Amino acid sequence: MGEDFQRNQLKELKETALPCFQCGVCSSSCPVFRVSPELNPRLSVDSIISRGKVPSEGNEWLCAYCLMCDQRCPMGVSLAEILMVIKNISAREGKAPPDVIESAESLMADGCQSPISSRSEKQREDMGLPKLPRANPADVQMLFRATGAAEVVELNRKAVEEASE
Amino acid sequence: MKFAFFPGCTMAYRLPFAEKSIRMVAPHFDIELVDLAFTCCPEPNTVRALSDDTWITFAARNIALAEAEGLDILTACAGCHESLSLAKHELDKKPERKNKVNELLKGLGLEYRGTSKIVHMHQQLFDEIGIETISSKVVKPVPIKVVTHTGCHLLRPERILHVDSAEVPVKLDMLCEAIGMVPLDYMDKTMCCGAGVRKTNSVTSYAVLREKMTSIAMVEPDAIVVFCPTCFITFESGQRVANRIFGTDFKFPVFYYTELLAIAMNLPGMDILLAEHRVKIELPASAETKEERKTGAKDSIPSSP
Amino acid sequence: MPERRIGVFLCHCGSNIAGVVDLEVLRQAVENLPDVEVVSDYKYVCSKPGQKILKDSIKKHKLNGIVIASCSPRMHEPTFRQALREIGLNPFLLEIANIREHVSWIHADDPKAATEKAIDLVRMAIARARLLEPLEETEVTIKKATLIVGAGIAGISAALDLANAGFNVYLVEKEPSIGGKMSRWDKTFPTLDCSSCILTPRMAEVGNHENITLLTMAEVEEVEGYVGNFKVKIRQNPRYVDIEKCTSCGDCSDICPVDIPAEFDAFLTYRKAIYIPFAQAVPSAYVLDMDNCLGVEAVKCGKCEDKCEAKAISYDDKEKIIEVEVGTIIVSTGFDLFEASKKEEYGYGHFPNVVNLGEIERMLSSAGPTRGHVVKPSNLKEPKKIVYVQCVGSRDELSNKYCSRVCCMTAIKQARMIRDKTGATIYVFYIDLRTFGKGYEEFYESTAAAGVTFIRGRVGEILQNDETMSLTVRGEDTLLGKPIQLDDVDLVVLSTGVVAADATNKIAHALNLSISPDGFLLEAHPKLRPVDSFNDGIFVAGMAQGPKDIPDTVAQAKAAASGAMALMGKGKINVEPYYSVVDEDRCAGCQVCISVCPYNAVALNERGYAEVNPALCKGCGTCTSTCASGAISSQHYTDGQISAMIQEYLSTREGA
Repeated sequence: MGEDFQRNQLKELKETALPCFQCGVCSSSCPVFRVSPELNPRLSVDSIISRGKVPSEGNEWLCAYCLMCDQRCPMGVSLAEILMVIKNISAREGKAPPDVIESAESLMADGCQSPISSRSEKQREDMGLPKLPRANPADVQMLFRATGAAEVVELNRKAVEEASE
Repeated sequence: MKFAFFPGCTMAYRLPFAEKSIRMVAPHFDIELVDLAFTCCPEPNTVRALSDDTWITFAARNIALAEAEGLDILTACAGCHESLSLAKHELDKKPERKNKVNELLKGLGLEYRGTSKIVHMHQQLFDEIGIETISSKVVKPVPIKVVTHTGCHLLRPERILHVDSAEVPVKLDMLCEAIGMVPLDYMDKTMCCGAGVRKTNSVTSYAVLREKMTSIAMVEPDAIVVFCPTCFITFESGQRVANRIFGTDFKFPVFYYTELLAIAMNLPGMDILLAEHRVKIELPASAETKEERKTGAKDSIPSSP
Repeated sequence: MPERRIGVFLCHCGSNIAGVVDLEVLRQAVENLPDVEVVSDYKYVCSKPGQKILKDSIKKHKLNGIVIASCSPRMHEPTFRQALREIGLNPFLLEIANIREHVSWIHADDPKAATEKAIDLVRMAIARARLLEPLEETEVTIKKATLIVGAGIAGISAALDLANAGFNVYLVEKEPSIGGKMSRWDKTFPTLDCSSCILTPRMAEVGNHENITLLTMAEVEEVEGYVGNFKVKIRQNPRYVDIEKCTSCGDCSDICPVDIPAEFDAFLTYRKAIYIPFAQAVPSAYVLDMDNCLGVEAVKCGKCEDKCEAKAISYDDKEKIIEVEVGTIIVSTGFDLFEASKKEEYGYGHFPNVVNLGEIERMLSSAGPTRGHVVKPSNLKEPKKIVYVQCVGSRDELSNKYCSRVCCMTAIKQARMIRDKTGATIYVFYIDLRTFGKGYEEFYESTAAAGVTFIRGRVGEILQNDETMSLTVRGEDTLLGKPIQLDDVDLVVLSTGVVAADATNKIAHALNLSISPDGFLLEAHPKLRPVDSFNDGIFVAGMAQGPKDIPDTVAQAKAAASGAMALMGKGKINVEPYYSVVDEDRCAGCQVCISVCPYNAVALNERGYAEVNPALCKGCGTCTSTCASGAISSQHYTDGQISAMIQEYLSTREGA
């Protein structure tokens, strides 16, 4: 599943990344790069343009998606969006971080990215806040499956379990 | 003005007191809030990172719910605001994506048309209601020194969101001034709080927060003012974790803007809400009025954390 | 009209055309069309043998209409017209079908369609050739005087070349002194020779030259006419000081009570309301800045007039309109520095210790506001740690896409000078160092050897510690892939790029000059006509045309001067007869044409009919298309010719 997806995405990635002349304003502006230099948006793009290869080390998962790189790129390249596509590719290779998978599973279960506890429901009630209407779980699961996320989650869940064995 | 209210998962279930403050001030500014069966916006760094199609479909469903009611969406969280706005931008720009999404939504009896606007509380207060109207509602100014953190996802991408200048944001500072606070300039004002990377690498996340907090600490504010529940939690709870990991000593009170607005408007019930804060602040005595402040009758100096 | 005998000549242009368009198919498609006497093809019709084939064919077949299918008429129309003249055929009986730029170059991927398009274009050209009329070229005299707009190093160099060759020059400058940006710069790269030491002798020469009329504080308001005969209206602002009488003693300035930030010193110091921009200014005379003057009545101030022994000051000085006639024009309006505050992440304008290249030049100048010392503006102390940020406002889709060319070398030069003078620690953040000129790379290497650190990477952001006013610079060493944060930086110099001056835009409007997308003036051909504009007799030189250093600027100035001299030396020029003519039998005298003509070329004659002045008319066709009774036609582009082409095109498609 990963390979086909990657091939399709790579062509588009190359096109979006092409104007980059490796000036380094993205990395210079990146708050994560400053503390964890493994995340270097410039090098992620470099891999795509000069080696025609989607980086596979998984460093892009460190991106906080703060869009500082996107804001300052002098060539109008949306670095954060490129990193997002790389994350999509990486997820299809079963490399998504476990906490990310958990969030997705929570969304699939009750429409919220973290589980809704009875305590927090109670707290809302105590404060006089209305009970929020919820989406129909069947609808949520249908959309999850139809858009391919369910498959990605299962794949990664399996990868996590294999790793723990 | 009637809105479909989108508090977002984080605010609704982890920061209900901030949501409460929005619901408290809203009627005073002719804002009527309607609750719909929204899901998570969804969050870019989890859902979108796994599957772009899933992200845009869920976002489209949320917007379509509001469209069906003929309402614009009022967001409270920077992340939700950015996620919904970006999805809307993409759907309005690319008919083929819109059609694909609508194929799925049809099964739920919904259609994304692109008729509803996405408005954040920040925009509604600053751009629509305006500083003057806000000041006019203040009965009990809050004379504390604050730093503001508008939040990455309200500022960028600037070309799509147009909330404030992405490099030199000033609007939240002006909103703070309007209710009697003194906003301080500080380094790294537009820098990320680190929340975005917490689920993938928590140590990195807290290292980013430490950098941000170090810059904030340099100007010694009484509190941090945010307009995003995720940033709120990162600052308030995150600083303790950062202290534990890095041996730092950050202990700043954090406020969601409308909490302070409600205080300044002297709305009843705020004490209960403030009790939920993990880092407390002693606010100036409640007896103080605008007139007293003007005449300098009571020069209240708030206590530092 | 005699019977039309048309010859069609198909050019291969090597393989440029023949490699795509099937010329044999093309030939067969057109050789049997009415009036076509002969069709021939040749490898290069523009070559000597090609022209001979053309001429022989004209003679042999008694041709009186020529169609050449080749490159753009912009390339070889003059060549072929000259060939026609030489063989005794009127040059306006020529029509060119552009089957290279419009066909083979852009449709190389589809030869079949390209050939079809070429056939269409040639058929249409033949249709027009049937109706072409012989026209007479009028010869005009060229006035032996040149207007030069802008008196920086480009305008000064061109003015001196022309004046020394014996031509009159009107040199117009909007500032109170000539000298431009070069007079503000301290040293020149890579030789580190003093900028004003090499410039000021040239300025003085301009001031004293008998063939140069210098008009400072003046701007070109309006230009009418055409090559050889331009009528120029110049507006000169009042100086309130008679430059003939002023002895530049400075008594007026000494007594003036007003202090204004000085433009010439990049606002780093103050000047008086009555002042001289700099010591070697030309004209060497003071100027009164009336906007900032306290008031000329004795009650308010009026001190300078009292004090002036030479009686040079006159508060009644008025704006003057000066009209001159010239044969040629050179535009050398220079550049402005990029407004660095637009890059908000660098804090220019907010953080006092973030400065631009121009400010450092003034600091480095021994005649400047700090007498040659580079200082931190926040406390006037010597900076120990300095960072240069390259490409601010250059190579940036968010501001200017182009490379400003001079900032790399200027930064290296400044860094070298500061390093040599004070031993400060200096970092230069660059994307690529562009050291393109003679001796430039060597200069960069010796500067690196002198201890200046060069780091490859664009700076992300600059932050200020409000308490200490020191700066933090964040970047990446992209060669190592490592983050760099420099703290406690005393001074950041933004290597601000160059942008087209506001004045350039204004003059382009007045002269109808084209501007390229970057905002600079567009030259007629980037390689072969680098200093010609698209308008005959008007030349461009220096930064007005695009970013360049001083040697290139002077080279262009000299080229523009020689272009102007070539025209004026010849004294006469043929003007293309593309003007409009009025058929008085059909003219109703309604005067609508007069109101729409952008060149004021139409007037009512004594018989009450519209009449076009061929010298002023540019053949734009506005009057032709406006005339309700169809009384006006544009010579060489008649309605009949155009509709014949359209009909020809449609004739093969009717019913389709």
